[in-house]
Amino acid sequence: MAVQAVHLEADAFLVCLNHALSTEKEEVMGLCIGEVDTSRIVHIHSVIILRRSDKRKDRVEISPEQLSAASTEAERLAEMTGRPMRVVGWYHSHPHITVWPSHVDVRTQAMYQMMDQGFVGLIFSCFIEDKNTKTGRILYTCFQSIQAQKSSEYERIEIPIHVVPHETIGKVCLESAVELPKILCQEEQDAYRRIHSLTHLDSVTKIHNGSEEPANFTKPAANGVKALLTYRFQQEQPRVTQINSPWE
Amino acid sequence: MAASISGYTFSSVCYFSANSSADHEGFLLGEVRQEETFSISDSQISNTEFLQVIEIHNHEPCSKLFSFYDYAGKVDEESLDRILKDRRKNVIGWYRFRRNTQQQMSYREHIIHKQLTHILGVPDLVFLLFSFISTANNSTHALEYVLFRPNRSTDFFDKDGVMKDIRAIYQVYNALQEKVQAVCIDVEKSERVVESFQADVNKLKRQIAQRKNEKEQKIRLQQAILSRQMPADNLEPMFVPRMSYTGFAVEGCTLEDSDVSDPPPPYSDFSATSQESTVSHGLLESSVFMPRPQAVGSSGYVSTNTGLKYSGNGASMPSSQRAVGDNVDESEDSDYENLLEPTESSDSEYSQTRDSRPSAHPDGDSRNTQTSQI
Repeated sequence: MAVQAVHLEADAFLVCLNHALSTEKEEVMGLCIGEVDTSRIVHIHSVIILRRSDKRKDRVEISPEQLSAASTEAERLAEMTGRPMRVVGWYHSHPHITVWPSHVDVRTQAMYQMMDQGFVGLIFSCFIEDKNTKTGRILYTCFQSIQAQKSSEYERIEIPIHVVPHETIGKVCLESAVELPKILCQEEQDAYRRIHSLTHLDSVTKIHNGSEEPANFTKPAANGVKALLTYRFQQEQPRVTQINSPWE
Repeated sequence: MAASISGYTFSSVCYFSANSSADHEGFLLGEVRQEETFSISDSQISNTEFLQVIEIHNHEPCSKLFSFYDYAGKVDEESLDRILKDRRKNVIGWYRFRRNTQQQMSYREHIIHKQLTHILGVPDLVFLLFSFISTANNSTHALEYVLFRPNRSTDFFDKDGVMKDIRAIYQVYNALQEKVQAVCIDVEKSERVVESFQADVNKLKRQIAQRKNEKEQKIRLQQAILSRQMPADNLEPMFVPRMSYTGFAVEGCTLEDSDVSDPPPPYSDFSATSQESTVSHGLLESSVFMPRPQAVGSSGYVSTNTGLKYSGNGASMPSSQRAVGDNVDESEDSDYENLLEPTESSDSEYSQTRDSRPSAHPDGDSRNTQTSQI
């Protein structure tokens, strides 16, 4: 196929994982920013976390507006890093679900490949637990789509993916990472506003529906603080320095 | 028990692990608390549940392996302090990331864990193992994680290092085995008693059958004599019919006695009650009568031949001989017993049952029947 392999930088991998692990109830998604080299290896340097406009459980779709906004962001990153950056793929999560792409996923991927042959798809499967062995599992896979020979349906083909060490957390990734709690908060805010805008509901119902919001707010807010405190820096290494949190 | 780790901490561990070309390890910081849930339901007034909650708030990665222990697995407290600094009091466990390995604690990890437990003063120190595996074409990867509490398992082990559960199972098994042995001995005793009773019953049945036969034979003889007295007086032919009739009688007996099917005799039963006994065959050599199979209806004057068709049960002696035999049997029996005494000494139970048996011992004949089986 068009793509030989995918090299995912470790700090981008960190953001993807953060994003995937942030929500257990529904799928999250984002876009991958990077470049493709002459040997047709896709290098993913960063990711953009997308807000889901439609929080349906089994569907993950990127609107054209989001794609356009992502391209703009990619240009900004290209300027910042001095490298040719563009949107090279997309990722989404499968909480409590197997890592393999569904038919919808394969079709969506095929659609993206129509505009860009080198477009890749990543899936992160998390919150998988084996009760018998008390083992938890997180899986990730990379795929593209091809047209099946016999039918008009699309099939998944596997693309090798390697997480490439990146000693420091790039600025871009840090921004994306911190963006996550903000986005989660915004989503809750939107949901709250939507409920409040329903004027036909009586005040009791509004209060009831809205009373969950503070809890929903504080969670991402707390997570945001946690995120900052977790991205710590070690003094010994020529990498990052330590930030002590009041909680420890 | 419930253990939790935030997604940020988890992905941070994954990040450091991905950056390591070798294994990666570090410490887990957080808190352990006991939660008590008090539930009231319709079925129970109150139900208290204790749940130990382990919360991993953060991690302290080690920059390289062997940073706080040496190759022998000996932990150096100074190095430990240098890594942890004032976070030492928040340590609730440690973790290790490995690729393509089993999801078990290695021996070195066990040793280190024990020492950390003592040095850090955390009795319930946990160990979080991350293992990484990939598909052959590297398109799909899995990171598995499992939390160990090796110190807890000391409940399972007693001072010998054998699991308490297993020791308990062995004890139960041993006790059971002893019980089974004791019961087996009792059962064996009662079985022997049952056997001898059964043999007695069979004997008595045969006696009854024989006596019946004798009666019938007498009647027939009398009838035959009455009917023969008309033509001529010949003593000799009298014997012939007897022989032939005994043949018939034998047949009759055989038919009747086929109801009385003896079970195969026990090996310990040396008495001649068991005519099928191959052991007794050798002893029968010394007995008076040696039966030989004779065709039905043959008029051969075979004095030594009891005129028996082959029968499984020995109720086939001529009545006269039998009448004599009853008395003879006693003495024969006593001789027999004398012969048998030495061999019976090993079977004390049997001799007891022999003594308790009725003295009527009709089976001199049954002793004499051939031992080949039908």
